[in-house]
Amino acid sequence: MISPRTLRNLKKELSHSVLAKAGIVVVVFMVAMAIFAPLVAPYSPGQQNLDQAREPPLGFTTKETKEVTKTENGSVVIENGQVVTENQTVYNNATLAHPLGTDGNGRDILSRVIYGARTSMLVGLLGTALAALIGVTVGLSAGYYRGRVDDALMRTADIMLAFPSLILAVALVGVWGQAAFRIPDPFVATGFTEWWRGLVGLSAGPMPGDIVLPGTVIVVVALVNWVWFARVSRGEALSVREEEYVKAAKALGANDSRVLGRHVLPNAITPILVLATVQVAAIILLESALSFLGLSGASVSWGFDIALGRQYQSTSWWISAIPGIAIVLTVIGLNLVGDWLRDALDPGIDGEGGV
Amino acid sequence: MSLSRFLLKRSLHGLFVVWGVITVVFGLRVIAPGDPANVLLPPNVDPEVRQQVIRELGLNEPLYVQYFEFVAGIPTGDLGLSLTTRTPVAARVLAKLPATLELAVAATVVAVIIAIPLGVISATRRHDPADYGATVFSLLGISTPNFWLGVMLIILFAVQLDMFPTSRRPVGFDTIVAQALALQFGSAWDALTTWLWHITLPAITLGTYFTALITRLTRSGMLDELGKTYVRASRAKGLPETLVRYKHVLRNTLIPVITVVGLQLGTLIGGAVITEAVFAWPGLGSLIINSFNARDWPVLQGSLIVVGAGFVVTNILVDAFYAYLNPQVTYD
Amino acid sequence: MADEILKVRDLKTRFFTEEGQVNAVEGVSFDVRDGEIYGIVGESGSGKSVTALSLIDLVESPGRVTSGEVWYRNTELAEEFRDENPEAVDGEFVDVRRLPKGVRRSLRGPSFSMIFQDPMSSFNPSLTVGEQIAEAVEVQRRARANPRRTRSRTQGYGLGKMLVDSLVPSKSYVQDASMDRAVELLEQVGIPDPVDRADEYPHQFSGGMLQRAMIAQALAGEPDVLVADEPTTALDVTIQAQILNLLRDLQRDEGMSVVMITHDLGVIARMCDRVGVMYAGEIVERGTLEDVFENPVHPYTQGLLGSIPDLADPAPRLQPIEGNVPSLIDSEMGDRCYFADRCPKAMEDCLQRIPEFDAEKAGASDDEHRVRCVLAERQYDESQALHDGHFEEQEVAADD
Repeated sequence: MISPRTLRNLKKELSHSVLAKAGIVVVVFMVAMAIFAPLVAPYSPGQQNLDQAREPPLGFTTKETKEVTKTENGSVVIENGQVVTENQTVYNNATLAHPLGTDGNGRDILSRVIYGARTSMLVGLLGTALAALIGVTVGLSAGYYRGRVDDALMRTADIMLAFPSLILAVALVGVWGQAAFRIPDPFVATGFTEWWRGLVGLSAGPMPGDIVLPGTVIVVVALVNWVWFARVSRGEALSVREEEYVKAAKALGANDSRVLGRHVLPNAITPILVLATVQVAAIILLESALSFLGLSGASVSWGFDIALGRQYQSTSWWISAIPGIAIVLTVIGLNLVGDWLRDALDPGIDGEGGV
Repeated sequence: MSLSRFLLKRSLHGLFVVWGVITVVFGLRVIAPGDPANVLLPPNVDPEVRQQVIRELGLNEPLYVQYFEFVAGIPTGDLGLSLTTRTPVAARVLAKLPATLELAVAATVVAVIIAIPLGVISATRRHDPADYGATVFSLLGISTPNFWLGVMLIILFAVQLDMFPTSRRPVGFDTIVAQALALQFGSAWDALTTWLWHITLPAITLGTYFTALITRLTRSGMLDELGKTYVRASRAKGLPETLVRYKHVLRNTLIPVITVVGLQLGTLIGGAVITEAVFAWPGLGSLIINSFNARDWPVLQGSLIVVGAGFVVTNILVDAFYAYLNPQVTYD
Repeated sequence: MADEILKVRDLKTRFFTEEGQVNAVEGVSFDVRDGEIYGIVGESGSGKSVTALSLIDLVESPGRVTSGEVWYRNTELAEEFRDENPEAVDGEFVDVRRLPKGVRRSLRGPSFSMIFQDPMSSFNPSLTVGEQIAEAVEVQRRARANPRRTRSRTQGYGLGKMLVDSLVPSKSYVQDASMDRAVELLEQVGIPDPVDRADEYPHQFSGGMLQRAMIAQALAGEPDVLVADEPTTALDVTIQAQILNLLRDLQRDEGMSVVMITHDLGVIARMCDRVGVMYAGEIVERGTLEDVFENPVHPYTQGLLGSIPDLADPAPRLQPIEGNVPSLIDSEMGDRCYFADRCPKAMEDCLQRIPEFDAEKAGASDDEHRVRCVLAERQYDESQALHDGHFEEQEVAADD
């Protein structure tokens, strides 16, 4: 499927391009963060501490004016039968305990970004996988059988493309609600998390026991994005079906599914791979948009946290800013990897999608 | 095939797609769980009242009758009644449309004005700081979620620097036009500045992805084009470099760019939905989100149909423009 | 004897690529006379096309003409620059490479013009053929109206027109008189229905017709020197002859000089008065057509001509010579005759840079016959011959 020549091209492009290397580093980093979240997050993403709310990230100090009860010699000052208040300047200093600061409920932003990576990666990868499964199956069959199957696919694709992906996603979420599945986190369930956190000296605080799988969102993003896969694989199937070796295989009596699986699919794999990389990025953006609108049902997600931070936008910019930076980094990383694959494999397609 | 036959064929195909959009939208409501009557009625209502409402909504009819009535109503502009306000959906959607169009057009204008010169500079001055700057900008631009960009712009320019308002649309472009037509230039000018002041941040928010995308496409397209033999031949016959670059190369670069931009119009409308949410911009996007939250199905359906049909129409226009620009198009 | 219109001296063009410096043109010298067809023949990769582009100042990045002189006879320019830039002027001649950039550009059209190998890719697909030819006319018209302005980058073609042109198919640059002239030119190169065809797009033309149109475009500025880079290679055999006849007729009618670049000895034999043979970026042998073809001195020329019994019946294709064309990468070329590794008569003397020798001693009858080969001065001596594996061993040694 991937020939030695392809691998050589990949290596050659990689050695030329600093950007491709940077992209791979970022993507690997984000994926690792998602997988090992319970082992590396300083706190549980839900752990609140109202005393330490809205601490800025390291390197920043914020000043805000608060109305507090006036005290003298430890007792509340009362004048004319009323408690006297005064304006006091409060400095919020960054602390090492929360290097990226805390949100409005005093939750650690670093931990939330780490756990947010899980939601993004789960939806991005599973959504793309599902979209590819649907799209490639439909696209290969349409391109291979041509005729009515093909017409029906192309017309369906035209109709699907008439809906902006975000709007279609909103409508589908409206139809199906926000079902989520919970599967036990293997690190926590086996007790490894507790042992490991004790070993490296992270706070023991119980980490979430479940991984939340936003089922509806995954299905929805796949249904919105499968068309791109269908188009690319249909084009590949159309060109491959006329090749001599495919005709030969058919003449020798290979059945259709065998021809599709053994001959057509391997040829289409390169452009599909490039498309998939770009699609993971597009789906991560789509998921974050749904979460931002509060429609995904996720409680720990980069997009959702950006929306939460809006309440504090006049005082605490970082609550919205930091999860957004995580999104931008991830998407840039994926786009760079996509560019690298495209340059090295040159399947001649354009990456599509986005919010 | 002639241009007019091509357009006729495209329009018929467009009609088909619009029919498909309508059918999908109808299907969405059918497969949606829950009873639309529940949106209107308190939970423990008299079953008889309930039945009456269901009859009024036509939900007791067989599905094919409902579908036929739904489809038949659309050419007459009947998109049904809103469940929450009991007013015609078409009127509600039309009322919100100008705000979204303004935003989309402003974003496109911003994108085109910035992106094409940027792409040209980037392609003609390769390995220059300007080229690197444009490349970094376009990578950032296509990777930044626009809602986050919007929030950041609000925090920086509205909250911290107090240069722009955080949200809302106090005056529409139609007001400006009306005042100008009534020869009230003073108030038209005031309205225009207010309008510009309010639309700046939303337009940047929505336009950045497009600016980045068009910059990228222009740059790579122009580099491709500059490597072609006809460029060398144009220089050989003595044409000034400006003429070679702009009369010949840029025009050929923009032909494919226009198609891609046309294909991305859906993304633009999708982006408008979320930009409107960020800036409390009272357009179609806000309407969609609100009717989603209220489970007001008819409004949601109507908005989707308008968006889908709008996409189809714009695409036909883009195709026609493309055919007009490109003499090689074969119309099939 | 006719005067020289162009004297090229020691021209060097390099490409600075990731793989290293490529010496595409390595010290080329030749003269082109008034009203003659000068042929440059060589295999692909010998640097002949780059030589053509270097003449007309169209070498693109990462390439650059790094040294050498291109003396062009033009009394007006000589007068204009005699005081301003004495180095660039020698009698009636100016060194084009020493002229300011704007002036060099203004020479394209009225002084030098070029036709290319593939007519289909040499026209802009989205403008009519007539308009593209008219542009070439228009440039000259504007140049005559305002000589200084031609040398500017924009030539009065402003931002507004540029914006309009990029969105609307228009003829805002070209005036009607130039369109009429374009139609005349199309007629002159033998295109039927020139009025209608002028409004057609390149993809509506056949290859042969489009090559005629390109010739018309090149004639628009009434050039002194027309550089034709493989003008018939992309065409059918039957059409090739027509185009060559057309070129020769036009050359006679207009009295211009033509530099004919080709890999096809048949074309050279049929068209040219004098010829230079290129190999690995150098002209290895040059002289009159008869003398070079009848008394070739360089073993490479002899190899090329090997199968041609006489000029009356030239073989149309190059005779294959054993081995590969060298890579032209600077670091791999070394100080030697570049043909030595393929040469049947390579000797120890060949392991040094070879200057151009007069070929008279070797039996040439033309006193301007020059050759870059030690055999011009001495006889082949078998005792000094390099043994067969010499260059392979050198390579192995270098790799270790």
